Amino acid sequence: MVERSQNLPVDAYTEADEREIKELERVWACPPGIIGWFTDTDHKAIALRYVVTAFVFFLFGGIEAALMRIQLARPENHFLNPDLYNQVFTVHGTTMMFLFAVPIMTALGVYLVPLMVGARDVAFPRLNNYGYFVYLIGGILLYVSFILNTGPDAGWFAYVPLSGPGYSPGKRVDIWAQMITFTEISALCGAVVVIGTIFKMRAPGMSLHRLPLFVWAQLVTSFMIIFAMPAVMLASSFLASDRLIDTHFFNPAEGGDAILYQHMFWFFGHPEVYIIFIPALGFISSIVTTFARRRIFGYTAMVLSLIATAFLGFGLWVHHMFATPLPQLGQSFFTAASMMIAIPSGVQIFCWIATMWGAKLNIKTPLLFVLGFVAIFVLGGLTGVMLASVPLDLQIHDTFFVVAHLHYVLIGGSVFPLFGAFYYWIPKWTGRMLSERLGHWNFWLMFIGFNLVFFPMHQLGLQGMPRRVYTYLPNGGWGSLNLLASIGALILALGVAVFIVNFLWARRFGLIANANPWNADTLEWSLASPPPDYNFYRIPVVEGSNALWDRSAENPVVVGLSSTKRETLVTSVVDAVPELRYELPGPSIWPLLLALATAETFIVGIFTAWAFAIGAVLTFGVFIGWFFGDPNYENVAAKEPPQSEEPHRAPEVLRAENA
Amino acid sequence: MSTRTAIDVSNLPHHGFDTFDTIWWGNNLLLAIETSMFVLLIATYYYLRQNFNLWPPPLAQLTAPLDPLPDLSFGTANLVLLLLSCGLMFWVDLSARRESRAGAQIGLVICLLIGAIAIVLRSFEFSAVKFRWDSNAYGSIVWFILGMHMFHLITLSCETLLLTIWSWTRPFDMKHRVDITALAVYWYWVVGIWIVLYSVIYLTPRFG
Repeated sequence: MVERSQNLPVDAYTEADEREIKELERVWACPPGIIGWFTDTDHKAIALRYVVTAFVFFLFGGIEAALMRIQLARPENHFLNPDLYNQVFTVHGTTMMFLFAVPIMTALGVYLVPLMVGARDVAFPRLNNYGYFVYLIGGILLYVSFILNTGPDAGWFAYVPLSGPGYSPGKRVDIWAQMITFTEISALCGAVVVIGTIFKMRAPGMSLHRLPLFVWAQLVTSFMIIFAMPAVMLASSFLASDRLIDTHFFNPAEGGDAILYQHMFWFFGHPEVYIIFIPALGFISSIVTTFARRRIFGYTAMVLSLIATAFLGFGLWVHHMFATPLPQLGQSFFTAASMMIAIPSGVQIFCWIATMWGAKLNIKTPLLFVLGFVAIFVLGGLTGVMLASVPLDLQIHDTFFVVAHLHYVLIGGSVFPLFGAFYYWIPKWTGRMLSERLGHWNFWLMFIGFNLVFFPMHQLGLQGMPRRVYTYLPNGGWGSLNLLASIGALILALGVAVFIVNFLWARRFGLIANANPWNADTLEWSLASPPPDYNFYRIPVVEGSNALWDRSAENPVVVGLSSTKRETLVTSVVDAVPELRYELPGPSIWPLLLALATAETFIVGIFTAWAFAIGAVLTFGVFIGWFFGDPNYENVAAKEPPQSEEPHRAPEVLRAENA
Repeated sequence: MSTRTAIDVSNLPHHGFDTFDTIWWGNNLLLAIETSMFVLLIATYYYLRQNFNLWPPPLAQLTAPLDPLPDLSFGTANLVLLLLSCGLMFWVDLSARRESRAGAQIGLVICLLIGAIAIVLRSFEFSAVKFRWDSNAYGSIVWFILGMHMFHLITLSCETLLLTIWSWTRPFDMKHRVDITALAVYWYWVVGIWIVLYSVIYLTPRFG
């Protein structure tokens, strides 16, 4: 490796710098027009699209939840008919899990990871773009079919035999199965992008033990995605092939097995909970550090807990299946594992409390949401430990108790930190601060509303109210608690509405955010809000685990990257020693075309197997174009060796040497 | 004027082999995804086996031959061919690293041919299984495993085709030499996975 030190002026913006920045702006700019929008590979633009799309799906899922709460507000209600109710709860669950929770966690990673590790873009910008389009197509597929009254109706986990060819004729479940394929492809692309970026694009000095906890959380989540998502893709592919080409994976009459489906689904489904939850732990660590104005307590313990959670998360799936005839010894093992996972979660909660203990807390909205998380998640965790015990689980399986538990865990563990993250990072994304006063309203409405909806469901479940029933009789005594829950839903919805109002208000009237409005410690806060297209004019050299707080007066940087092409620094995996000046691929239409070829394959595949042959040809065609037909980037020989940049740099180096 | 320390990276190369390049990581992560898929397929295979007294199940209609075990010939031929191809791919890999263009060009063409033969052999392997995908769960899982591996044989051959064309028509630049070494990793993976899958499908019902 070639490395030499030299001295550069700290007041960096000389005339040569201005010229170089202009050049960087030109090179990294998004191409103009609508085509430009489709071809852009800027990770920040793609991430914001992810965020907006996922948030829209969150609102759709919320509307479906509201419809269900209206239906259940009183006994023998006829607001939704049974068939529509089945579709609504299935689409609600599917949307929230696959179209909202996973993509929005990926989105925050895709936006923040390159900024936090000091890179100019993600490692695979075009794969990133492809992932977004595949996700978008999957979401549109689900909602178009829902509007056409072919929305899936067999529950978000689509158990066989109900979802099999015998009991679910028509195309509804096929739509579900293919939508799974789209969203999983997208999540897998996101995981590869994030891991590649974290491993190879870190700024010099950011060795693994200085990685911000947010980035650790993203890294661990991405590895979980790589090992968990193939299970659900296989499960849904088996299901689709049972339905479409008469295979017998889940058909007991021909040696197939319905329990196999549950195993495969939950082998994905339980890690999925942690795939949603672990990124939220990353948000919380960032927020707690900033608002307690302290280094995190027990960094090593935190990292090890994240990794332990990921490993244990793969050993719990059977606790979703305690009601199936499995050997008791096996069940005991999964009970033990389910209780054990409370340990790493507990370690992290104690570390956060230790960080905040005695600190001068700066109670802003992001921290408020984190405190709300602690309250709600601890409750959800407690019911989780209860459900881990087999006899209790058998008693309340498939009741509203489980509905209460899962919403406490998922909304408490994920949506509250996410809203905290919105308040924390929206100033970086948009350059405007959200209103603190509306933020407090937002938090308290959501917190009170949430508890009003879901706390009564514990009681309803214990009283025996089954989940997924479209109505109930008046003499069961479930009416008043259901009404209370429905009122709570209204308050919760108001809270979300306040957030939207706050966002729209801030776009116009919010205070202008400077680079670091919270005095935070991670590298994204060293950039303007919103950051320029190329992220870092000079890639920083990281001097400690809290990059900005540990920055010395010298504030060293990297020089020598080209500003006439999309060049970024590639460093070694463990110690982040500079290895390569790597040219990243720029804007391209091929990712979109590839996504369309994928869409043809799986959507037309619902109707005819020929779609796969056609899709293969289309895909190969796209790859030919991608590989050979792109003068912007692939024609590397024309740009190598990089002589063109030398005159540009010369005056600056001279001046540095003079100084 | 106050000064700051700077690391000058202007002499660093643009590409590097193996762990240096992001392509190597991206390639291997995608292979990790596919590996977890094949592990789950193997788990499914043995899970379904529990539902059968005889595995593979006895043939329903008494046609000759009576043996329900999958015929070894095509699968074994494929295994031998693919194992031999690894040596060739290693040579291609070496040529790319040594910037020996002719070696890579010729090696890639032969590999491409081997890929095509492997795909043809594979299509015969389906008929060597005595059940169709819609006969029973055994037929379903065996066809699915063979099909997924065939899918990889096809994508592997397509990638080889692209790099072959490149090596003959375009500059033999560092970027595409790195690509060739990544292709080699994919190739070894496809062969390595086939050793396992071959043992699962053809050997364990005979000996296990």
